[in-house]
Amino acid sequence: MNLEPGEAFPDLDLPDHTGRARRLSEVAGGDPVALLFSRGWWCPKEQRHLREVTALQDEFEVAYARIVVVSIDASEVQAAFRAGLGARFVFLSDPERRWLERLDLLEETDTVHRPYRPTAFTLRPDLTIHAAYDGNWYWGRPTAEDLRRDMRAISSAVRDDFR
Amino acid sequence: MGDLPKGAAHLAYDGRELRAGASPGRCFMVDARCLDGTPVRGAYAHVCALTDDAAVLEFDHPEIQQVRRDALAWWIGMLGENLVCLTTLALDASRYGGAITVTREPVRWSDDPFARIFPGTLVRSDLFCAVAPPAGPVIERYAGVAWPGGRF
Repeated sequence: MNLEPGEAFPDLDLPDHTGRARRLSEVAGGDPVALLFSRGWWCPKEQRHLREVTALQDEFEVAYARIVVVSIDASEVQAAFRAGLGARFVFLSDPERRWLERLDLLEETDTVHRPYRPTAFTLRPDLTIHAAYDGNWYWGRPTAEDLRRDMRAISSAVRDDFR
Repeated sequence: MGDLPKGAAHLAYDGRELRAGASPGRCFMVDARCLDGTPVRGAYAHVCALTDDAAVLEFDHPEIQQVRRDALAWWIGMLGENLVCLTTLALDASRYGGAITVTREPVRWSDDPFARIFPGTLVRSDLFCAVAPPAGPVIERYAGVAWPGGRF
């Protein structure tokens, strides 16, 4: 599957952190999206990075943009992790690794958990990929500034009255 | 009550019952999706609003922002599949008159964050249909529609 900028990201169908069935397009709700694939709650790098993303939610909440995290953690584990972070955005749960293989995002070095490879995408409201980030090395992940820049670029492109 | 923005619907509350439309009782604007579908019969609607016209605050007040954050952070998650829908009650493009959380079964209504603004009354209702809960973290309203309704 080609996950390069300009390509359409698949409309993921997964349960959220409450166990409710969700689709990525429904969660996007017509807004730009920061989509983060995460190894799981146990990884110190994920904990650190998601704390940074959670700190950014105060801007997303007033800026008509969404944050979505996908991991192999079960919904109830995600709910606990989300609460610990203080996050108010959606986590999507893929313990069966149903989308992991289709997206070709297997973290091959972790043969114990077989998690998602840390990867991030910023998406237009129609799920077209704006930018992609390979976070296998921590410094490859989008920083708060990267996400602000991408959300600004997407918003300026899709909001008619953005000047 | 002026023209309805796209994505909004009228709901009337007289202190005991809820009715679709602008009367009888106090008229609010709600997320139209909550009334547009197959209704859940005998649902429990926790109405955190008063019939007194003086019970009103600006949506942008910090406390009204915070109860929306609390709804996203833990209230919606606690309700799980029991949740039918949730809507704030708008009086116009900027003023908040309350909120309604609708469930299939009774829950711990004392936990309802919206009851911190206006006290809650439990009403049985056949009006409301299932709506996917807001994804967050957006707490702003879309074009004046009652949160979490509307979209650009």
